[in-house]
Amino acid sequence: MSQTIEFTLNGKATSVDAPAHRLLLDLLRDEIGVTGTKEGCGTGDCGACTVYLNGKPVNSCLVLTGELGDADIVTVEGLKDGDAYHPIQAAFIADGGAQCGYCTPGMLMMAKSFLEENPDPTDDDIRFALSGNLCRCTGYVKIVEAVQDAAAELRRRAGKGQDHE
Amino acid sequence: MSELKVVGHPVTRVDVDEKVTGTAIYGYDLVLPDMLHGKVLFSTRPHARIVRIDLEKARRHPGVVCAISGADVPWTHGESIKDKPFLAQGKVRYIGEPVAAVAAVDEDTAQEALKLIEVEYEDLPAYFTPEEACQPGAVAIHEEFESYRKAPIIVGAPMPNVCEHFKLRTGDTAEGFRQSDLVLEESYYVPVIQHAAMEPHSAHAQVDPDTGQVTVWVANDAPFRALTEVAEALGLPQEKIRLINPLQGGGFGSKGGLKLEPIAMGLAFHTNGRPVRVKFNREETFISTLVRHEATVHVKSGVKNDGTLMARHMTLYWGGGAYSEKSPTVCIRGSLPSPGPYRIPHVHVDGYAVYTNKPVAGAFRGYGIPQGAWATEQHMDELARRLAMDPLEFRLKNVFVDGDTAYWGEQLHNVGLTETLTKAAAAIDWDKPKPAGVGRGLACISKPTRSPTTSNAGVLVDTNGQITVLAGTVEIGQGCNTILSQVAAEELKVPIEQVQVAPLDTDVIPFDASTTSSRSTYHMGNAVRGAAIHAREQLLEMAGPMLEGKEEELVVSDGKVHLKGHDEIALTFGEMIRRKLGADAVLRGDASYTYEIGKDLDLETGHSDHASAFYMYATQAAEASVDEETGRVRLHRLSAAHDVGKAINPLNCVAQIEGGVAQGIGSALHENLVIDENGKVRNPSFLDYHLVTSVDLPEIIPIIVECAEPEGPYGAKGLGEPGLAPTPAAIGNAVADAIKSRIRELPLTPERVFWALEERDGK
Repeated sequence: MSQTIEFTLNGKATSVDAPAHRLLLDLLRDEIGVTGTKEGCGTGDCGACTVYLNGKPVNSCLVLTGELGDADIVTVEGLKDGDAYHPIQAAFIADGGAQCGYCTPGMLMMAKSFLEENPDPTDDDIRFALSGNLCRCTGYVKIVEAVQDAAAELRRRAGKGQDHE
Repeated sequence: MSELKVVGHPVTRVDVDEKVTGTAIYGYDLVLPDMLHGKVLFSTRPHARIVRIDLEKARRHPGVVCAISGADVPWTHGESIKDKPFLAQGKVRYIGEPVAAVAAVDEDTAQEALKLIEVEYEDLPAYFTPEEACQPGAVAIHEEFESYRKAPIIVGAPMPNVCEHFKLRTGDTAEGFRQSDLVLEESYYVPVIQHAAMEPHSAHAQVDPDTGQVTVWVANDAPFRALTEVAEALGLPQEKIRLINPLQGGGFGSKGGLKLEPIAMGLAFHTNGRPVRVKFNREETFISTLVRHEATVHVKSGVKNDGTLMARHMTLYWGGGAYSEKSPTVCIRGSLPSPGPYRIPHVHVDGYAVYTNKPVAGAFRGYGIPQGAWATEQHMDELARRLAMDPLEFRLKNVFVDGDTAYWGEQLHNVGLTETLTKAAAAIDWDKPKPAGVGRGLACISKPTRSPTTSNAGVLVDTNGQITVLAGTVEIGQGCNTILSQVAAEELKVPIEQVQVAPLDTDVIPFDASTTSSRSTYHMGNAVRGAAIHAREQLLEMAGPMLEGKEEELVVSDGKVHLKGHDEIALTFGEMIRRKLGADAVLRGDASYTYEIGKDLDLETGHSDHASAFYMYATQAAEASVDEETGRVRLHRLSAAHDVGKAINPLNCVAQIEGGVAQGIGSALHENLVIDENGKVRNPSFLDYHLVTSVDLPEIIPIIVECAEPEGPYGAKGLGEPGLAPTPAAIGNAVADAIKSRIRELPLTPERVFWALEERDGK
């Protein structure tokens, strides 16, 4: 049974007819056609489908459409600021944080959230924060480097300017 | 070489923008107009006859467009042996085998319809290890084996269920053992693991009811081989088949051959032209796509007291699962170098690829090398300990060097092994004292590449000076689009931003053998280089008259041609093409590269003059300790020295090594696809199948060794596969050094280590 769901997606008011049991992941990918959010497992184990829901990262494969009323959702497609990459995107590009790229959208969303909470992390902090996001290509080395570099850039922008190195 | 501007530099990946913005379209993302959704019913029995299958209720379910079983798609395929049906034919051979499929208006409807399909089975004896499947008296898993169409490499054995027998015969091992001071015999085991690429499998297909044209959209790592297999299976000419390759979210060998393509095509033959998408979820991907071969490896070695290897006798049982897939060639290319990269005068190898009633095993990054290395490289340390020799010194004494004739009869050149050994060891302070409880271990490998093979390439230059590379290499995450762009940019002297790689469509792109076997940088690198040179030559030919200069006076620089010493008068590529070929014309360079091996592999002796276009050499060294209370292995650091010939992109090389090592660590410590006594996969999820996470890894120290291969582009060899091959053995040797007890079965779980400690302490 379909119902009309209204929410904000990447800053835009969005309205979709979908059954309440439709997963947010499938709603985004199949109903709306926004496929940057990836399905790796569908059971909340890999983090590839991580999106922002009301300011917090969630596995979109574990959220039902029925829960979404008036929600604010941000996906990887909403990361750029106009033409400018988000510092996390820029760091993944510069440091080689993506190989096949399938885990990348989820990694970026989780890393963004983590850096909002911990702007000055150690490598171990980053590794712990990303431990629910699986990557089969990179061995995580360049991902951790990229998050560290993004943290430095975000701190620079915030004018705090304290750097580990 | 010193003047290389793009090649040899750590260029940023050319495909990364779309990957960080979410605009990249992978196979799993693809939505086609008016598309139907396919779902698959899987076998619940490991080995059984299908007595009855009834699709009628499913066919009548509202929203269902078609429901099919093996009878509706009476075709078989297989790379070396045509043994695999599109859907089970008359019997099932593993739990998870596709038995029937439904196409419906949406996935939920297709899923509901599956529940309406009735299947009645009559169970047959099932075998879950290669050793039991090839015992005398075992029931044949493929009764029709003799009648299957087979490639010439298939060698039978007088045992049941063997689909390939590889033999290597060099010298006389009995004599070698007689001449030895120490003879040691041990057995080792590698379990089933899975590729677990982050993107699950999918395929889309459409059949034009009027023309019979078959189009398949699939992230296959060998689109041209898949095209040939499809054409052969369907009995159609190749021009009736088209494969379009969307981006691939990792494969590691799991996405070659035909996987979901036969199901998607089978359905598409019954939908009156509507395209069908078949997607496997993670659980379906675990139970029904592909796994790595489990292997039992028996090694017997003879060695002199001074550490000289005299003889090695190996027997390898490769668990192939229910269908042959790539088992025959994994058996050949995994068994052949399994005695290790050493000078050994007397060698005897028997490799048996054996059908079992488990999920199908096939290509997995490393192609049989990791299994052999787990056995042989641990065995080397067991020998070294008994000889009271340092494991590094023992290896250095025996390891292949330039000019050696390997035990398979080929003279080796450009061997960077010694350098990888000394550098990997030095990186973990091999010669420095270890704290109590800390162990160090290393392992080395050589890996051949599939040979002979061919790559063709085209390079287009348009009137804007934009360069487009036409290459059939599949971007699976390894970075080929960046490497090939670098090669084209280098030869045409343009900034890399001016180069793009065309999407892969078999109707447009020239033939390439496959994106497998670490062959692309070398083969396709040579082809793209040749095509770019061909384009450059045509541009120079045009430039001569226009600039009124002789060819040797012309200089190509920054997308332009000018006369030596007169760069103020330069013609852009675009301008020359416009003037000579006309507005909107495109200049095209073409090239083909084949590494020819000369004489074929001798199937009786395993000998060959050129088994491989090149060899990849690597050594990894690990430092580890063990929590003696829990048995948990703690890795401190792991160095990985890889001879890549020439690093076309050092950043990418490091990335390949780090990623490979991470997979190797996973297979060493965590990964095991548990298949129970009834043939059922018990851990088909990321919750229960432990991939390494960001907190599971030690410091990884990548080391690039460049022992140039003259025939390779700029001296390059390959690198994709070896990253994980020596890792488990290096870790196994470090753990054995730490706990003074040897574990010969992977993975090194806390439980296994704990019992090894108990056994050591006599408890």
